Amino acid sequence: MELRFTVNGQKQVLEVEPQARLLDVLREQLGLTGAKEGCGEGECGACTVLVDNLAVNSCLVLAHQARGRSVTTVEGLAPSGKLDALQQAFIQKGAIQCGYCTPGMLMSAKALLLRKPKPTEEEIRMALAGNLCRCTGYVNILRAVQDAAGTAESGEVRKA
Amino acid sequence: MAVRGNLEDSENRHETAGPEKLKQVGRSYPLHDAEAKATGRIRYTGDMSLQGMLCARILFSPLPHARIRRIDAAGALALPGVYGVFTHENTPDVLYNSQVWYAGQEALKDERLFPDTVRYIGDRVAAVVAANEQTAAKALGLIKVDYEELPAVFEAEQALRTDVPVPALAPWASPFFSKEISVGHVDECFEAPDAVVIEDRVETPKIHHAALEPHVCVAYPDHNGKITVLTPCQILYSVRLVVATVLGLPFNKVRVLKTPMGGSFGGKQEVTLEPLAAFFALATGRPVKIQLTRHESIISTRTRTKTIGYVRTAWDKAGNLLARDLKTVIDTGAYTSNGAIIGMAMGKKAFRLYRIPNQRYRTESVHTNTPVAGAARGYGSPQIHAITEINIDHAARRLGIDPVKLRLRNLVRPGDLDAGGGPPLGQAQIIACVAEGAKAFGWAQRRDAPHGTGRFRRGAGMACATHSNGYFGGFQDFTTMTLRMLEDGSMILNSGIQDLGCGTVTSMKQIIAEVMAISPDRIEAPEGDTETSPYDVGSQASRVTHVAGACALHTAGKLKEKLCREAAKLLECAPDEVILQSERIRSAAHPEKDCSYGEMVSLIQEKNRTEIIITETFQAQDNPGSYGADFVEVEVDTWTGLVRVVEVLAVHDVGRAINPGFVRGQIYGGVQMGIGYALTEDIAVDPVSGRAKGDRFSRYHLVNMPDMPPVRVILIEKGGDLGPFGAKSIGEIATCPTAPAVVNAVNQALGTNLETLPLTPERILRALACQ
Repeated sequence: MELRFTVNGQKQVLEVEPQARLLDVLREQLGLTGAKEGCGEGECGACTVLVDNLAVNSCLVLAHQARGRSVTTVEGLAPSGKLDALQQAFIQKGAIQCGYCTPGMLMSAKALLLRKPKPTEEEIRMALAGNLCRCTGYVNILRAVQDAAGTAESGEVRKA
Repeated sequence: MAVRGNLEDSENRHETAGPEKLKQVGRSYPLHDAEAKATGRIRYTGDMSLQGMLCARILFSPLPHARIRRIDAAGALALPGVYGVFTHENTPDVLYNSQVWYAGQEALKDERLFPDTVRYIGDRVAAVVAANEQTAAKALGLIKVDYEELPAVFEAEQALRTDVPVPALAPWASPFFSKEISVGHVDECFEAPDAVVIEDRVETPKIHHAALEPHVCVAYPDHNGKITVLTPCQILYSVRLVVATVLGLPFNKVRVLKTPMGGSFGGKQEVTLEPLAAFFALATGRPVKIQLTRHESIISTRTRTKTIGYVRTAWDKAGNLLARDLKTVIDTGAYTSNGAIIGMAMGKKAFRLYRIPNQRYRTESVHTNTPVAGAARGYGSPQIHAITEINIDHAARRLGIDPVKLRLRNLVRPGDLDAGGGPPLGQAQIIACVAEGAKAFGWAQRRDAPHGTGRFRRGAGMACATHSNGYFGGFQDFTTMTLRMLEDGSMILNSGIQDLGCGTVTSMKQIIAEVMAISPDRIEAPEGDTETSPYDVGSQASRVTHVAGACALHTAGKLKEKLCREAAKLLECAPDEVILQSERIRSAAHPEKDCSYGEMVSLIQEKNRTEIIITETFQAQDNPGSYGADFVEVEVDTWTGLVRVVEVLAVHDVGRAINPGFVRGQIYGGVQMGIGYALTEDIAVDPVSGRAKGDRFSRYHLVNMPDMPPVRVILIEKGGDLGPFGAKSIGEIATCPTAPAVVNAVNQALGTNLETLPLTPERILRALACQ
């Protein structure tokens, strides 16, 4: 079945099985391996990409559901080679350790900032609730998103 | 990347000012591969695709214990695109143990590629190697297996019973391992008439490591009979040992390359998929990838060892810990793995946190028909500290003494020896951790604050822990490194290091950069490759910074000596008159004859006909304790039984933070893992069916971002031990005090004595109902 959509600004026309998941088409047919499969059931968020600027779990979406839409993966976050503010903040704030959750984290955070450029801490926590990380305890991820949004207080996390 | 560290380098660090002024050590540089990870450019093993690569999928046993009568693979083999079906009938029957990391290491060998009798739900029955995942999956469904079901045992204490028959799981009796360590006169102390005796039974769960990257491996053959294995592993030389043993190949025909690690926490420390992938590649002559799903990773790889601890302590009225009697029952699951040594690892820690003149530790390890246990961050420390620290708080309640005061009275001091006969404790700064922590946390106020009487109850708790710094005193521990300076002044460190995402590569660069007066980004430090890297014991046992880091320091020192010696000939001065500064070199007498490192190395090659290269072996000579204390406030919902962790303060004695940002990062992650251990995480093997209930992420609950409390960190950096610049380990100790601190806080909030982890809502409500 033919699938026409845009991926990272590039128009694509592909022959795609009707039952193929968006994640597999991105990784296997387009070689965009940034999005990862961590659970295959929408719990971990490692496969998060943007579809028309909304964060979706690409393991739960059929590729054909992206017909005519615009998909952005982590590879599309820095189209001109200049890092996105979120990428820079993730690097600088120590929000990356093993890095396996990072593409999904970045895309969920990007969707949040596109919709709400100055989110509160609670909004960040809720927007990233579906992205699991085992390395960082989320502490520096929260700081990085606040830093990219320009809402970081003093670099210190919230007091109870 | 030439980015300067800015992760609050000076924040909350208690240092003893040393005489030296450090330029590179103590700075928070980002990870060497952070940009590759942030852009999706990094290629993890699952992202790799090789020409002609095949995919393998494994058929896992649906039964907890069964003899395989017959496997009919005809349907699968007839499917187009299937290259092979592998079972116990056509694969090596070589027995191995997945945790051995050096040749000659003794361990019970009871695992093989495919057994003829499956021992747990998740054991390997067969595998299909096919052109792609879909074909392999379809072919798996066509394999017919005829099983003869056998009786099974799912609980460790059931496996120890002598009054009922226990199903034979292995040729060894149950327990297959038992040992005792004893000092002083334990029984006499408990018999003393005025002793206050506090007794607990603490149970810790089997948990999943939950690295976001499920287990994966690629192997390919070459034209000369060599197999190359690409694996995100922790111990390259362990992988080589097991693969070569199972395949019957010489060690130099097995090449193991460490690929980017998508998280491990011990879960990828043992050898699981590698011999399978290597065998399939050899059998088919093609590259083969095995990529597990989350479900498969949970049930079929490794788990944290479920442990039951019996602990009795004897105290005097003033709160002096007179004696302790400890016993652990180790449930290693269906295969032995590290089931013998982990009980000993637990026991050894029991002698290194408190001054206890009389102590006995006994351990018994058993097999059950459940997922296999193995290495897991802390290697027994989270278990033993849950057992002992819950008991200490129980004692504090009974004695009417504040838990901080009770601990301060009994904790070890810097310079103490190990009463159990292990290596000296070194600069053991746990008293400083507890004292500083109590002050910064506002312990006295929080502890005395009312718990509330309504639906929500607040409580504060704390716990201490210790962990090791390598294998010195237990096993051989050494590392070899080769360091070179090239003709443009850049450098290459060639070593067997494995970065697990913790920052090992960057830390090594910082250590070398400090010695060589060079920027860390001028150093290349590739991870290990068994064909070209010198030997390393592995990224295990909390040894990397302390031991491998010390090797980097010593090797850089030797290289500097050589550079100065060779440069002195050209600068016509004595070697000790050569000055290295900001990547330039000169003699003290003739500062005007100053040249760059690159110019000097080129000159040395041209005139002295030699290379600036050093290979150095470093042998560990100490194994001090790393120490940590966590302070926690919780809020318990007495209607639902749910616990919210309100705040955590983690204080760690790390000797010296090579990269404080990385150290804090380890602690934040360790706290997340510890909270999960205390409250939610359990693969929960059903005692009737043997099936893991927490067998996927929708049924296995990691702490996510909304539930993660704020975490404050204080680092105690007083140095004094033999790690590089005094550095001690952090990766494993980071998670050890958290769970008991959370449990102690809940028990304070509710006035309970909960001691079975995790504290699920069901357990909390049951305890409240009993009040």
